Amino acid sequence: MADNTVISLENTTVIYDDLLVLDRINFSLRAGEFCYLIGRTGAGKSSFLKLLYRDILPDEGSVTVAGYDVTELRDKEVPYLRRRLGIVFQDFQLLPDRNIYENVAFALEVTGEKKRRIKQRVLEVLAMVGLSHKKKSMPSDLSGGELQRVVIARSLANEPRILLADEPTGNLDPEASSTIMELLKEINNHGMAVLMVTHDYDTVRKFPERTVQIRDGRLEEVKIV
Amino acid sequence: MSFRYIIKEGFAGLSRARLAAFTSIFSLFIAVFLIGLMVRVGMNAYDLAQVLQQQVEVEVFLEELDGESTEVIRERLNQFDFVESLTYISKDSAAAIFREEFGLGGESMASLQFLPASFRLTIHPDTAIEEVDSVVRDLEEWEGVDEVKFNLALMQMLQSRIEMTALAGGTLALLVILAAIVLVYNTIRLTIYSKRELIRAMKLVGATNAFIRRPFLFEGFLQGVIAGLFASGLIYALFTWLVPTYLPQLDVLGWPFGEWYYLLGGMMGASILMGWWGSRWAARKFIRRTKVYI
Repeated sequence: MADNTVISLENTTVIYDDLLVLDRINFSLRAGEFCYLIGRTGAGKSSFLKLLYRDILPDEGSVTVAGYDVTELRDKEVPYLRRRLGIVFQDFQLLPDRNIYENVAFALEVTGEKKRRIKQRVLEVLAMVGLSHKKKSMPSDLSGGELQRVVIARSLANEPRILLADEPTGNLDPEASSTIMELLKEINNHGMAVLMVTHDYDTVRKFPERTVQIRDGRLEEVKIV
Repeated sequence: MSFRYIIKEGFAGLSRARLAAFTSIFSLFIAVFLIGLMVRVGMNAYDLAQVLQQQVEVEVFLEELDGESTEVIRERLNQFDFVESLTYISKDSAAAIFREEFGLGGESMASLQFLPASFRLTIHPDTAIEEVDSVVRDLEEWEGVDEVKFNLALMQMLQSRIEMTALAGGTLALLVILAAIVLVYNTIRLTIYSKRELIRAMKLVGATNAFIRRPFLFEGFLQGVIAGLFASGLIYALFTWLVPTYLPQLDVLGWPFGEWYYLLGGMMGASILMGWWGSRWAARKFIRRTKVYI
C-alpha cells in the first residue's frame, strides 16, 4: 500500500450463501480523495463497506484500511480500526433518548475521552455541520437533513482519516441532499478521504468525482454523464 | 474508562427500558424469595430432625460392678465419636427415677434396689445409624455389661426421614435455582435485545465489547440488589411478623445459624450474583453477535 493510500483491496472475494458477491476486486483510495461507489440494489455495495469496517471478512484476498490489515485483525482490535473511520448510514442510527449533544458526545465517551475534551470537540463538530443551536434538541425534533448532519458530526468526533457513507442522502429530499453533499465535499476539502455509496446518479452528476461501479461482482471505474 | 460513565449508564439503562428491567427484577425476586424460603424451611426441618435425633438414647445396663470397673466402662464409652453426652445412673438414682415415675405405689419395690446401674448415652446428631447399631452389638459382649437398650426403629425412621427431606429439598432447590438462572438469563437477554440499537451505535463508533458490556453488568448488579432487597425484606417480614401473628404454631424455630442476617445476607449475595452473572452471560453472547449493519 502506497504511503498516501488509506484503503486498499487486492483480489478480494466475498461469497454469501454460495453467491459470489465480490469477485477478485481491486481498489484503492488515497488520502483526501473522494470516490462514489455505485451499483444496483444487491450488487454488493454494502458488503464492500462492511469489509472496510470489518463487519464481515473476505473469503479471499486482502483488505487494508487506515493502516490496518483487516483480514489479520483480531476481534479485540476491531474497535480501534472503527475509531479511525467515520461511518454514516442512511438510517441515521442515532439514539432517540439522548439529545443531539449527547448523541455526538457518545462517540467520544466510548473511547474514554476526558469530559472537557468531549465538550470542546462536540461543540466544534456541531459548529462544523451548522447545528450548534440544536445541541439540546432531541432527534425527534429534527428534520431528516438535520439528523444526517448530526450523524456526520458524530462520525467526525474522533477525527477519523476516512469517511464511509452508505447512501447518506437516500432518505432525504433534494434540497437536504444537496446540503449533505456540500457538507461532505467541504469535509473532503479539509483532507479527509470520503467513500460514498449511492445509487442516486443525479447527485453523482451534480457533484462529479471519481466513481467506481460494482457489476456482476466486479469493480470498474466509470464516468457518469 | 470512566467509572462515573458506567454508574450513570447502569442507572439510565434501568429507567430507559423500564418494562424489561421490571421483568428481570421480578424474575430475580421470585427466584431469590423461593430460594430463601426453601433454605429457611429446610434448615428448620433439619434442626428439628437433629433435636429429635439427640433425644434418642442408648442405655447400657451394668452388672454388679465396683467403682473401678464402672470407671473403665465409662472411659471406653467416652472414646466413641458418636457419644454426645454420657450420664451415669447409679442404682440409687435409678430407684429415685423409678419412684418419681411410679409414685408411692413403686416405693416399696424401689426399696429392693433391684434396678441396675446404667450409662445413658445421647447420640451425636450427625452419626450414621449403622455405626451406632454395630457398636451396640459390641457393647452387649463387654464384660460387666448386662444389657443394652437402643431404639433402633426410631432412629432408622428419623434418619430415613432426614435423608428423604434432604434429597427432596435439595432436588427442589436445584430445580428452582436452575429455573431461576434460565429465567433471569432470558429476561436479561431480552433487556439487552431491547437495547440493540444502542449496542450497534456503540460498535459503530468504536466501543470495545468490554466497554459496551460494563454498564449492562452494573445494571445486572443493580437489578440483583433491588430484587434481593425486596426478597429478603419479604422473608424477614414473613418470619418475624406474618408467621408469628397468623401461624404461631409454626413459629417454634429460629433463623438459620441463630441470626436473621445470615439468611438475608446470603439471599442478597445470591441475588446480586445471579443478576450480575445473568447479565454477563447474556451480554457477552449478544454483544459479540450484534452486527453494526443489519
